[in-house]
Amino acid sequence: MIVRWICEKCSKKWIYPIEKCLYCKGDITKQKGTNIKVAGITKVSIPSPMHPIIPYNILLLEDEFGNRIPRKTMRDYKIGDAYVEQKAKTKDAVAAVKVKYDIYEAIKESMELLSVELNQDDRILIKPSIITSAYPYQAVNTNPAFLDALIMVLADYGISNENIIVAEQALIGSDVMDAASKAGILEICKKHSVKFEDISKGPFEEIESDGFTFKVFKEALKRKIINAPIMKTNFQIGISGALENLSRLSDEKTQREMYFNDIDKTLPKLAKAIDVFTIADATNGMQAQGPLALGEPAFLNLIFASHNAGFLDAVFCESTMLPIPNHVANSCEFDIKKVEIVGNELDALKYPIKQPVAHETPHTDIKVIDGKACPACLNIMYNLTSRLVGLRGNEINLVIGSELTEEMLKGKDRLVLLGGCAEKKTGDMGIKSIAKIDENLAFVEQLALLQKLLTTQGNPKITPIDKVKSKMRKLLSKVIR
Amino acid sequence: MTFIKGVGMTKFGIEESTSMHLIYEASLEALNDADATMDDIDAIVVSNNDLLSNGERQRHSSSLLSSLFQKKLPVLSVPAGCSGGGTAIWAAMKLQKTGSYKNVLVIGFEKMVSNLSKRITDEMLMGGERIYEQTEGLNFPAQNALVAQQYMIKYGATTDDFALVAYKNHQNAFLNPKARFYKKEVALSQIKNSPVVASPLRLFDCSIPANGASSLILTNDKTDVEIAGSAENSDYLASFEREDITSWDASRMAAEEAYKQAGITPEDIDIAEIHDAFTSVEMISYEDLGFCKKGEAKEMVRKGVTSLNGKLPVNTSGGLKAKGHPISATGISQVYEIVKQMRGEAGERQVADVRHGLAQNIGGAGSTVTVHILRKC
Repeated sequence: MIVRWICEKCSKKWIYPIEKCLYCKGDITKQKGTNIKVAGITKVSIPSPMHPIIPYNILLLEDEFGNRIPRKTMRDYKIGDAYVEQKAKTKDAVAAVKVKYDIYEAIKESMELLSVELNQDDRILIKPSIITSAYPYQAVNTNPAFLDALIMVLADYGISNENIIVAEQALIGSDVMDAASKAGILEICKKHSVKFEDISKGPFEEIESDGFTFKVFKEALKRKIINAPIMKTNFQIGISGALENLSRLSDEKTQREMYFNDIDKTLPKLAKAIDVFTIADATNGMQAQGPLALGEPAFLNLIFASHNAGFLDAVFCESTMLPIPNHVANSCEFDIKKVEIVGNELDALKYPIKQPVAHETPHTDIKVIDGKACPACLNIMYNLTSRLVGLRGNEINLVIGSELTEEMLKGKDRLVLLGGCAEKKTGDMGIKSIAKIDENLAFVEQLALLQKLLTTQGNPKITPIDKVKSKMRKLLSKVIR
Repeated sequence: MTFIKGVGMTKFGIEESTSMHLIYEASLEALNDADATMDDIDAIVVSNNDLLSNGERQRHSSSLLSSLFQKKLPVLSVPAGCSGGGTAIWAAMKLQKTGSYKNVLVIGFEKMVSNLSKRITDEMLMGGERIYEQTEGLNFPAQNALVAQQYMIKYGATTDDFALVAYKNHQNAFLNPKARFYKKEVALSQIKNSPVVASPLRLFDCSIPANGASSLILTNDKTDVEIAGSAENSDYLASFEREDITSWDASRMAAEEAYKQAGITPEDIDIAEIHDAFTSVEMISYEDLGFCKKGEAKEMVRKGVTSLNGKLPVNTSGGLKAKGHPISATGISQVYEIVKQMRGEAGERQVADVRHGLAQNIGGAGSTVTVHILRKC
């Protein structure tokens, strides 16, 4: 489809969405060309950073209105050929659609390509990714413009705002209302009069899948779930995408247990138990040291959609040239070459984004040895190390998670254990550390201890002064709020 | 009226030098040529694309020049992609016509071959439309390849015609000591057999990047060369948006305006420096500038009309194709060549009796175009 924004009165056209004609001030409507032919073709033999695989073809497509767009393809066409977007033939197909200034059209097109069926009486739960307080440009959380467009598309299906809720919980230890506010999500909910619900408040209902019990947000089980993650790298598990986003449908205890029992295995079990349709925000995804703000925004300009969350994650990894993470590989048996992809060809999308690097934290002198820590310790680790940026010191290895091995800790010194899982696991292995930071300690006290560890060679402890400071800060924080 | 008091340029090449020194070198030549010093300069207009890939991390050209010239004066920065040099001249003339500035120094500079080619390619891509073009892999060669293909279909031009354009410009560059391909022989067969970059365009259909700077001094005082016409026009960034991609309105409109100002017609032009970023662009420009009718450029090439000894020699300097294309320096270097030709200082590539010369500078695929017409006084 080729879209132009055209003035109803004077017929001037724009390739960008505008609201009023800049000449006659007439209203603007969309002109959508669907009868598309190949008017030109060039085979490109030089690679560029965004297009590393050569040769590729660029078609000059022209519709029945004479509107043209360029289109990358790996297939061969001839001038005069018809260009038809094929709809998905299989239920598990993945749609990958580029955003041409209009997220609404891209979401709509991806759902049409998959022949998504929704009824006006359907009760919908949109599950975005809102994990911590961050601005939209940081690409930590689902973009508000994406949510805005998604709600508008649902309205086109006849679904009223009363039948839609947006529900999420932040990483353990963070407040989802703060996060959703900063992320611009609450504003979108307000705009559409859609209720935002904090999943962490429950209630939850137990479901079982392959021998694992999940306590899942009860409301989610009563509604059609539209999983709306932002696609990001994740230094712990490879990517945060369609599958990972589902973990926060569970209560805090379940989430901890999922990580404690190997997240690579428990996530696929959860995905198997919950029926979702995923429409993923890869407009500005995240690369490098995701999933928190240490990662970098990656301009991807894509929408992915599928009824199969695992396939969607796999296609995202292939298109961004990231290795397929274990939790994705475990989610279903698949051969990426056999996954049906509509909207764009996978090879034509391939563009390498930066991969996460193990052990990096926001602080150059503090490294992390991660044994797949649960979101609680991950969040603490990130917040502590971020706060100490700029303060030079002696290198520290912060140890987190329950899946630690002797191999991971071999040759590392100045180990600082964060959280009960790391303490227990290293204890079982008889590995000594220079200090332990209790995950339940007040944040100010945790920070004071880590700062002392960083700047001294000894074995510092939390002093009564630190405790007083902690209490005062808490009090101050309450007053400010 | 605006006259050219002096011109200067560095050699366009791969030599390593700082931007400061490139500017210094080109400006010193222009000052010497004008028999002037910096005391005579009242304002500066400078063009540069602030490429991060040049490795200097140096923005704010205005103050940079104030430091270099040790002078506190108005400095206007005019980045405009590949048409930066031409746009700087156009802006300088507007500035001068306010009556406040008698002598205006115009400078264009760029370092294009100072970093990994993938980084430079990425920065060059930024000159194209982001959402429709960059994400579909439509880099500049591909964009121009689609234009060239449509042009070939519509008017029957061939890739052999494109090769003849490249060959002509390489022959001219062979004679130009400031050209990147100076004294470097390039055979027609080499051009025709070069690798395809974006079909139908081959490597030798593309201009060659270079480091370099160029400058000129505009004045109100009468000199031997007048800028008789100066026009600038812009068209939509994405070429596919335009009604006809085989003719560039910005070029056509700027030319019409420049001819009108100069009071001449295309037949009066003796030489032209045309923005041959791609050989196909040179051919399309013959038509947009009024040197022939639509679709007839191929005949001009085949008959050698635009060769050095032809009726209308085009790109006697070697053009962007073989002199080199340091983006913002290009437009001013075109004027440099015409001035040298008018004064009879073009050495082995000298064309006889040049009275009117035209310089056309393009940014993007016909997105921003300047046309300057010079007249020998």
